[in-house]
Amino acid sequence: MRIGYKACFPARSALPVVLAASLGLSACVTPTAQRTSSWPDNIGRTIPAPTAPGPGQNPTPGASTAHTPTPLYSPPVAVAPPPKVLPAYPKSADEISSQAVLSLMKQARSARAAGQYDQASGALERAQRIEPRNYFVWSALGRVYLDKKLYDNAESVAMKSNSLARGNVYVELENWKVIAAARQAQGDAIGALQAQVKVDEIQRDLAGG
Amino acid sequence: MMARHMAPPARKSRLVIPRSFVYGAAAVVLVLGSIGLIVFSFYLVSLDKDIRTRFAGVRWALPAQVFAAPLELYAGLNLDAGDLKHELERLGYRDSGSLEGPGTFSLNRQGADIYVRAFHFWDGPRAENRISLKFDGAGVASVSDADSGESRDIVRMDPMLIGSIYPQQQGEDRVLVKLEEVPELLRDGLLAVEDRDFYDHFGISIRGVLRAMFVNLRAGHAVQGASTVTQQLVRNFFLTLDRTWTRKFNEMFMSILLERHYSKDDILEAYINEIYLGQDGNRAIHGFGLASWFYFNKPLGELRDHEVALLVGVVKGASYYNPRRNPVRAKDRRDLVLRVFKERGLIDEAEMRAAIERPLSVAGTKQGGVERYPAFVDLVKRQLRGQYKDSDLTDEGLRIFTTLDPRSQEALERNIAQGLAEIEKSRKLPAGTLESAGVVTSVGGGDVLGIVGGRDVRYSGFNRALDSRRSIGSLAKPFVYLTALEQGDRYNLHSMIDDEPIELRLPTKQIWSPMNYDRKLHGPQPLYMALAQSYNLPTVRLGLEVGEKAVANTLKQAGYTGNPALVPSMFLGAVDVAPVEVAQMYGTIAAGGFQSPLSAIREVTTKEGEPLNRYPIRVKQTLPEGPVYLVTWAMTQVMRLGTGRSAYGIVPDTMTLAGKSGTTDDLRDSWFSGFTGDRVAVVWVGRDDYKPMGLTGSSGALYIWSRLIRDLKAKPLDLIPPPDVEEQLADTVTGLKADEGCDSRLLIPYLRGYAPQSWAPCARAAESQPMQWLREIFE
Repeated sequence: MRIGYKACFPARSALPVVLAASLGLSACVTPTAQRTSSWPDNIGRTIPAPTAPGPGQNPTPGASTAHTPTPLYSPPVAVAPPPKVLPAYPKSADEISSQAVLSLMKQARSARAAGQYDQASGALERAQRIEPRNYFVWSALGRVYLDKKLYDNAESVAMKSNSLARGNVYVELENWKVIAAARQAQGDAIGALQAQVKVDEIQRDLAGG
Repeated sequence: MMARHMAPPARKSRLVIPRSFVYGAAAVVLVLGSIGLIVFSFYLVSLDKDIRTRFAGVRWALPAQVFAAPLELYAGLNLDAGDLKHELERLGYRDSGSLEGPGTFSLNRQGADIYVRAFHFWDGPRAENRISLKFDGAGVASVSDADSGESRDIVRMDPMLIGSIYPQQQGEDRVLVKLEEVPELLRDGLLAVEDRDFYDHFGISIRGVLRAMFVNLRAGHAVQGASTVTQQLVRNFFLTLDRTWTRKFNEMFMSILLERHYSKDDILEAYINEIYLGQDGNRAIHGFGLASWFYFNKPLGELRDHEVALLVGVVKGASYYNPRRNPVRAKDRRDLVLRVFKERGLIDEAEMRAAIERPLSVAGTKQGGVERYPAFVDLVKRQLRGQYKDSDLTDEGLRIFTTLDPRSQEALERNIAQGLAEIEKSRKLPAGTLESAGVVTSVGGGDVLGIVGGRDVRYSGFNRALDSRRSIGSLAKPFVYLTALEQGDRYNLHSMIDDEPIELRLPTKQIWSPMNYDRKLHGPQPLYMALAQSYNLPTVRLGLEVGEKAVANTLKQAGYTGNPALVPSMFLGAVDVAPVEVAQMYGTIAAGGFQSPLSAIREVTTKEGEPLNRYPIRVKQTLPEGPVYLVTWAMTQVMRLGTGRSAYGIVPDTMTLAGKSGTTDDLRDSWFSGFTGDRVAVVWVGRDDYKPMGLTGSSGALYIWSRLIRDLKAKPLDLIPPPDVEEQLADTVTGLKADEGCDSRLLIPYLRGYAPQSWAPCARAAESQPMQWLREIFE
C-alpha cells in the first residue's frame, strides 16, 4: 500500500474532530513512520524499554516481535522525576539472535577459550553477515579483536556495537570495558579513564544507585 | 642381401693398407667412440638431472584459486525451493532424485536433501555430510542431519571456484589431484585408450607401437596413439611440440630415465595433472582436475561414465575435440572411447548404451568455461598486490576466499545486461551504445558482494567499476546536506532554503550561473525536499553557506580518496569518482557514519590449507551518527516522493530504501546509488566516448538499480533514531511544532535539543496556550 502525501493531507481549512483527526492520522502516517521494525523506539535509560527488541532485521523466530509503535503525537506531560526502572533491554544474545547466530557465537566462545582468536573472529564475522545489526555479535567481535591486539579495531567495533545497541546498558557496559582496555593498551590513559567512567556509571545505574 | 650379391669382387682391387694405419684408425675410432660415449654420458646425466630437478621440486606453477563466499544454510534464511535448486546447480550439484554421492541432491517444494561435498575451508576441513531442509512460506524452516535427524544450526556449503590467478603470458592453470582421488574408470579408461602396457613397459613400448598401427589400420583412422603415457608426459613436461628427430631422441631417453627414477603411479599422477585439455582465452586448462571443473563444473570424483569418456577423448586433441565448439566431433570421439571402455570390461554393455544415449552435458557457454567473474577477480588481484609477490599468486597454489556473493553478482549481471537492452529499445537508442558498471556491497562489514565492469560481463578488459572515474553529479548532494545538518544550531531537515537564481564570479572571471534541471524556480524549499527533488539552486546556496572546504572534508570522511577542486560546482558533483568508491562513500552513510574499507577478500591460505592471512572486519566512525541519520531520512524521501520514487513501481512499498540519483551535464552520465538495511548498490550508465545519451539518473541507472534491489532480496532499511536524535511532528507549512490541529504534518527527526520549540499556528496547543495564560490570570 503506497500512500501519496498530497492525498493524505486534507485541506487545512477543515476542522476535524479529535477522533477523526486521529483516525486520519493512523491512515495517513508518513511512510517513514510505518515501522515494522522490532527495534525500540524510545531510547533512554530512564524510559522503560520495550519488551523484546530484536536485532531489527532478524528477530528470533517465534519470539514476540510485537511492540506498540510510538504514537505520532504524544501530548506533552509534566516531567516527573525519572522512574528508577531497571531497563528491560535484552541481557544476552539469546533474546535477540537466531539459532544460527547463537551457534556461531558459541563456536567463537570455545575458540576464544582455546586461544584460537582467528577462528573466533571468523565465526563472529559469519554471524555478523547473517545479522548485520546484532549488537551482541559486534560486542563479542570487539572482545576478540582486543585479544588479537587489534586495539584500534577493537575500540571501533565496540563503538559500532554501542551505536546499534541504542541504549542497551548491558551491552554498552561490556563495550566500554573493551574500549577502556583498548585505549589503555594504546597508551591513551585519558581516553581509557573516560571509558572507565562510563563503565562505572553504568554499573552504578545497574546497581540501582 | 641384394647388395652383397651386387657388390663387385673387392679382393682384387683392394689397396694394401699399412698395419700401422689400421692401428691408428682403430685408435682414432676408439678415442672418438670414447669421446662419444663420454658426451653421451654427459648428455644422459644432464637429462637425468633435468628430470630429477623437475620432478623432485615444485612440479607445477599452481595459480592461486579464488573462491566465492560460501552459501550458509540455516533456519530463517530467505531462500525457497526454486532459489536453492538454482544455487545448488550453480555449485555443480546434480538433482538425482536421491542422494547418490557428494554433489547430489533431491528437492521438492516442501524440502530438500543434499549430499554436501567435503571441503577444506580456511578454518579447517569439513567432511562430506548429508542434510535435510524443510521450507515454509518464508524460506528455510529447518536444517537437520539427514542420517540422524538431529537439528543442525548452520551448514556451510562448499564455495564456488570463481577463477584463478595465472600469469598473463603463458597462462597454465590446473587443479591438482592425487591419484587416489581419481575415479577408477578414468584411470583405467585413460590407460586403455592411451597406453595399455603402461604397467609393463620401461618408458617406451614396441608392442604399443605395433598394436596402435594394427588398431588404427583396422579402424581406418587413428584410434590409439603410439606414444606411451610416459613419453606424452615427457613431451608435455619438458619439450616443445616440434616434430624433429632430436626431440624424438630426447623424448625416448628421458622417458626411460624417468621410469628408472619414479614409480608408475608417480608418473601416472603427474600425467593426469599435466596433460593439456583445453583453452579458455589465454588460460590453458591442464590436468583432469581442472578440466572436470572447466567442462562440467564439478570435482573429478563426481563425474559419470559419459563425462569421464569425454575427458579421456579430449586428450587426443583438446582443440579438435573441443566439446563446446565441435560438439558432434567430440561426441563421436566420446562414444568411441565408451566402446573401448566396454571392450576392456571397464563398463558393461548396458552402461555403455546408457552413456552413449546421454548428451555431452557440458556446462557453461560456447566460448568459455563455467561462470567467471573477471571484474571481481580483477579487484581481488589489486587487493593482493603489494601483499604478495606476483609469483606467489601464480605459482604457489594459494587459496583465496573472497566476499563474492554469487546471488548478488548474478542479479547485478542480469539486470545490467537486460536493463541496458530495454533502455536502448524504449529510448530508441542504437543497440549496444550504452555502457554500464555496478557494485553491490554489504552494509557494515565492507564486503564487496558483486561487481560488474562493463556490459559484456565476461570480458576481462576495461573495468569501469574500478577505473572509470566520472562526474557523479547529484550523487554529491547528500554530502552537502550532511555537512549542513552537522550544524544543528543552523540547519534542520525543515530549514527553508531559497530556490532563487545564483550568479557566481569564478576565479577565472567567468560567471557561473547554475540552473535547476527543469530550468524552473520552485520558491523556498524545506531542506529535505530540496534534496528529494534534487534541486540545484538550493544545494549550491547551502553549499556556499557551509563552504567548499567543509563539504570536501565530508566527502573524504565518507571515503572519497581524491582531492576535489574547492569550487562551487563541487556541490553539484563536479568530482570524478569510480563506482566502487561511490559504494564506499554511500556505505559509510548506510552504516550510520561508520566506514568499513571495502574488501574483496576474507582469508588466504596455502594450498595445504594453512592460514596465511585474514582480513578482519574493519570499522571506523568517520561521520557523526545523528546528522548521518538525518540525511539518511532525507534520502528515504528521495525514494518516497523525489527523484527515486519510480523505484516503488518495482520494489514493494514495505521496502524502505534510501538513495540518490545523479545526472551530469548534457546527460552524459546516469547514476543511482542507494542502500537498504543490508545492501549498498551503485549503478552507472553512460557512453565510453562521453557523448550525451539522453538519460538522467532517474531514467537510466534507476531503472537497473530498482530491479537489482528487488532481486537482491535485501532487508528493508530500519529507521531507528540514534540517541542524539529525537523525532517531532512538524507542520509542513511552517516547519514549526505540530499536533493534531495541523492538517499537514510530518514526523521529522532532529538532532536532540534542536527541534523547534514554538508551536505552529495550526497547532491546537498554540491555541490553548493563550487560553491557559488568560485562565491563570482569572484564577
